[in-house]
Amino acid sequence: MALKDITLGQYFPGNSFLHRLDPRSKLFASLIFMTCLLLSQKFFLFLLLAGICVLGLYLSEIPLSRMLKNLKPFFWLFLITFLIHLFTTPGKEFIHISIWGFSLSEEGFVNGLSYSLRLGLLIIFAAFLTMTTPPIEITDSLEKLFSPLKRFKVPVHEFVLMVTLSLRFLPLLILEADRIKNAQLSRGVSLEGNLLQRIKNIVPMILPLFISAIRRAEDLAVAMEARHYIGGEGRTSFRKLRFRRGDFGMLAFAGLACLGVVVLK
Amino acid sequence: MAPNITDKSSKRLQFYILASLFAALTAAGSFIRIPIPYVPITLQTLFVILSGSLLGAKFGALSQLIYLAVGLLGAPIFSQGGGPGYIFQPTFGYLLGYPLAAFTIGYLLWGRNFPGSIESPTFLKICLVTTIGVLVIFIPGVTVLYLNLKYIVAQPIAFSKAVWVGFAVFIPGDIIKVMVTSILTFRLRKILSI
Repeated sequence: MALKDITLGQYFPGNSFLHRLDPRSKLFASLIFMTCLLLSQKFFLFLLLAGICVLGLYLSEIPLSRMLKNLKPFFWLFLITFLIHLFTTPGKEFIHISIWGFSLSEEGFVNGLSYSLRLGLLIIFAAFLTMTTPPIEITDSLEKLFSPLKRFKVPVHEFVLMVTLSLRFLPLLILEADRIKNAQLSRGVSLEGNLLQRIKNIVPMILPLFISAIRRAEDLAVAMEARHYIGGEGRTSFRKLRFRRGDFGMLAFAGLACLGVVVLK
Repeated sequence: MAPNITDKSSKRLQFYILASLFAALTAAGSFIRIPIPYVPITLQTLFVILSGSLLGAKFGALSQLIYLAVGLLGAPIFSQGGGPGYIFQPTFGYLLGYPLAAFTIGYLLWGRNFPGSIESPTFLKICLVTTIGVLVIFIPGVTVLYLNLKYIVAQPIAFSKAVWVGFAVFIPGDIIKVMVTSILTFRLRKILSI
């Protein structure tokens, strides 16, 4: 895996309508659509929401294949969902497998299909935000969104800073872990042998990683203080977030869809 | 406004940074696999436990929350990738258990006045606390598994069955993990004094 993939996450670079929206409105819109999905119970509503998904794909200029990649880790869950409903829903029987005493019903087929579709759509709606916004921008917008909590002494700014730092250090530490592993292997530390031996040999792999991480933390703290870092108060941001016309349009559309689902469900 | 950097705030900043590094270490830990037959140990659980025992309850839990946040933001650091869709995985509850476990371990080992205490806990105590901490992971783990089956797969099963599937199956592998991590915690604690 390329290390660039780790800091950018699922982000698909582009400059489409969805890419330019404020991350906050994207977040709210996907939450609204996901609530709609969980509320609706009819098959045609799922199809309607699938239509909105297609519209989203069009507006974000993300290729379909790239979006469907998000579903891959869920393969087993899809299969289980589909099969469970197929086999356990009572209804008009159209195939009878007498060997196991199971029977497949039409209702089961429709149920299995619609619940799998619902799961897939949930995942896709969730993915729109992270695919059209780089992680750093999302954390920035979350800081803005949760800044009222600062009054209750919730360390919002610190948390966002830590997430950003963590994202920054992740590729470095993965590289370092790999380097330390190779270095120790070349010195004769082996991952073979009996269980106890292997367990013992983990220590020389982990220890240098920790020591270097702690050293890095100290250096970074000194460097930040040398630049007069004093926490979130009065700090300005490199990226300015602004609600534009498109954002209001997006939220209005999501609200309407939600209303429709509540009425029709 | 004149910046007021005291020794205390400097120590605090250092702990914030350490917590974010531990989050990154937890993520890096899932890329390191120790090949042991049947249950390949990833170092992830190890870092969860270590974050609790080395950073204390508050910062340990914080570091694991950051790990979760980074994964949900899309970095592929969970066992099957990452991204916000991961909350629909039946196994997402185990991830929610990490901050809880780190908090429990930190609290049981050091109490509330974390960086203050000096004496080192005994090996037996570490073993015991680690076992409890690992068991804590299963509480949200099994709960989310149950809720996921009920609302996402929409096929409710009995809670006792969810406990069996989500808990009992993992026990043998976790006994080994607890052993490994206790040994490591003990040795690391001796060598590193933060």
